[in-house]
Amino acid sequence: MGTSSRYSPPWGDASIIGVAGGSGSGKTSLALAIVASLNLPWVVIMSMDSFYKPLTPAQSKKAFSNDYDFDSPEAIDFDILVDRLRDIKQGKVAEIPVYSFEKHARVEETTTIYSPHVLILEGIFALHDPRVLELLDLKIFAEADSDLCLSRRLVRDIKERGRDIEGCIKQWFDFVKPNFHKYVAPQREIADVIVPRGIENKVAIAMLSDSIQKTLHRKSTLHQQELRRLGQIAEESPLSENACVIKQTNQVRGIHTLLMNPETESEEYIFYFDRMTCLLIEKAVDFLPFTPAQVSTPAPHNYPYMGLHKTLEVSAVVILRGGSAFETGLRRTIPDCRTGRILIQTNYRTGEPELHYRALPSNIAEHGLVMLLDPQMSTGGAALMAVRVLVDHGVPEDRIVFVTYLAGRVGVNRVLSAFPDVRAVVARLGDDMEDRWVETRYLGC
Amino acid sequence: MSSDMQPLAPSQSVGPEYRPATQKPTATVSTPLPHENVHTLPQTPQLIALLTMIRDKNTGRADFIFYSNRIIRLLVEEGLNHLPVVGQTITTPVGRTYSGVKFEGKICGVSIMRAGEAMEQGLRDCCRSVRIGKILIQRDEETSKPKLFYHKLPEDIADRWCLLLDPMLATGGSALMAVEVLKSRGVPEDHILFLNLIASPEGAKSFAEQFPKVRVVTAFVDVGLDSKNYIIPGLGDFGDRFYTM
Repeated sequence: MGTSSRYSPPWGDASIIGVAGGSGSGKTSLALAIVASLNLPWVVIMSMDSFYKPLTPAQSKKAFSNDYDFDSPEAIDFDILVDRLRDIKQGKVAEIPVYSFEKHARVEETTTIYSPHVLILEGIFALHDPRVLELLDLKIFAEADSDLCLSRRLVRDIKERGRDIEGCIKQWFDFVKPNFHKYVAPQREIADVIVPRGIENKVAIAMLSDSIQKTLHRKSTLHQQELRRLGQIAEESPLSENACVIKQTNQVRGIHTLLMNPETESEEYIFYFDRMTCLLIEKAVDFLPFTPAQVSTPAPHNYPYMGLHKTLEVSAVVILRGGSAFETGLRRTIPDCRTGRILIQTNYRTGEPELHYRALPSNIAEHGLVMLLDPQMSTGGAALMAVRVLVDHGVPEDRIVFVTYLAGRVGVNRVLSAFPDVRAVVARLGDDMEDRWVETRYLGC
Repeated sequence: MSSDMQPLAPSQSVGPEYRPATQKPTATVSTPLPHENVHTLPQTPQLIALLTMIRDKNTGRADFIFYSNRIIRLLVEEGLNHLPVVGQTITTPVGRTYSGVKFEGKICGVSIMRAGEAMEQGLRDCCRSVRIGKILIQRDEETSKPKLFYHKLPEDIADRWCLLLDPMLATGGSALMAVEVLKSRGVPEDHILFLNLIASPEGAKSFAEQFPKVRVVTAFVDVGLDSKNYIIPGLGDFGDRFYTM
């Protein structure tokens, strides 16, 4: 399969917006105001404070006596920042360091940023490094009166960062003010927009918000075109070899008949659906790689048997909410199966799938097989996005198996042509674009 | 290993079709049999791995119960496919017609005590309110032949399809006697399905010869029996491992 059928999610080309400005100029409030006016879940603010270099013991001592220059570009770890920004730009998972101002060091935990459509990078040097500038879609400089800046900074450092007033004032005159003129102010030259008066400037915020909305809309259109293009590729080809429809035995057909018959009682429906799930899961786990192993039967015979051992873990990722209908059957087959969850919702306005929530096992990339569970696949849009989420989290394509009860040929082909090494296990091939009745019947609403 | 080891166990690489043979792990698979009434489950890597778990002497009781139940469910699913169905056309929730099938005929389970009772849960997992009869057959100390001690079966068993449950088929002495009991109650031979986890080629052969219409559904046919009529390699005493060990 050529690259022509690859799939890129809406966050595949994240917009990154840089907000620079002097200390206390209201960059954070401005970023927050932009986020609030966008009112979308896919906008993330990343502060450059996270990228302070960890201090050596000598530097740390200076920092505690307010003799360390935090307001010079030298204090920022631009290499890591650029690295993480590139990951976010490409739609990958980025681990962002957390910097503790109390300890002047990075703490062990990191914050994960994944799949923002828009990332706002805010910091005094957001527009400083040319490598960062290359990645920015919009460059904003927040302007504020320097008296206002100083007073804001004093309040924040004393209240939130546990400093004393003398130290803060010393820092201001030793470092902050001279550095502003040397490094911060020149960034105005390369900014696209200079916003005076911060959050009071409603007109500027509305303009910025509009511009970002337009970008998002353009991306959504592109993404839908991409889905349609993949659909065309899918429509023209026969069912992919990587799709495995379970054998339509009498029992399987009998269960289909019961499940599809609207007259079947709900209790009955759940019972037969669970039974079908077990069959699907048993089929899916066959894709797990096994290792030869010799065992011996109990005493007194101790006969040897050359069999197979499971050496790698099988896990599941439930695509909410439908996928949860598979959980009873899943636990009947693998009671301790680690189970991640993803919530993908289709936007009724645009018909576009959107990623709302994601909680995955931390070592998912090392699992021998990851089953993606969704009882029904119609267009394959949500499935594409779910597979992409797993791939972004380091799961190799050939270890992903998509398990579904009902799917259309075009939907399956769309996913399997975009990800040629992924496999699908399907209980029944139906029409494309059926209503999502399978989980509605199971969950009763 | 004992010196009276007979035929060699068949070994082959097992795995999904798409994977080339060189990438599939090699394992011992079920011994092929010529009898038409013996149906062996597909030898998938997953099934082999489950069997490996229950054969292993180091597998504890909880795991033994869990993994044997998983195989039993597969056996029941396969067994049920031999039951008759009638066509039924329905309208799906999206308004399309689907020409499906409806399960036809009443069924019941009959477990040969005590190991066969371990298979009841698997049967109930697939058929919720299934009736289950019991048969107790023990070896007579004097004649060393199987002897019927007890049976309790549904009244209308003659009108039902019978799923006879016994996990291990060695010489087949008790299973064959159980079939006799069912026949004497009026169950036609071709309405009996014998569900079994591990069979010996000898036991399967006796079934094929004595009751050619009884269908045997098994997960695995082992290589043979030893001088004391234990299955080689088998898995030890199923009842002990499931209930008391």
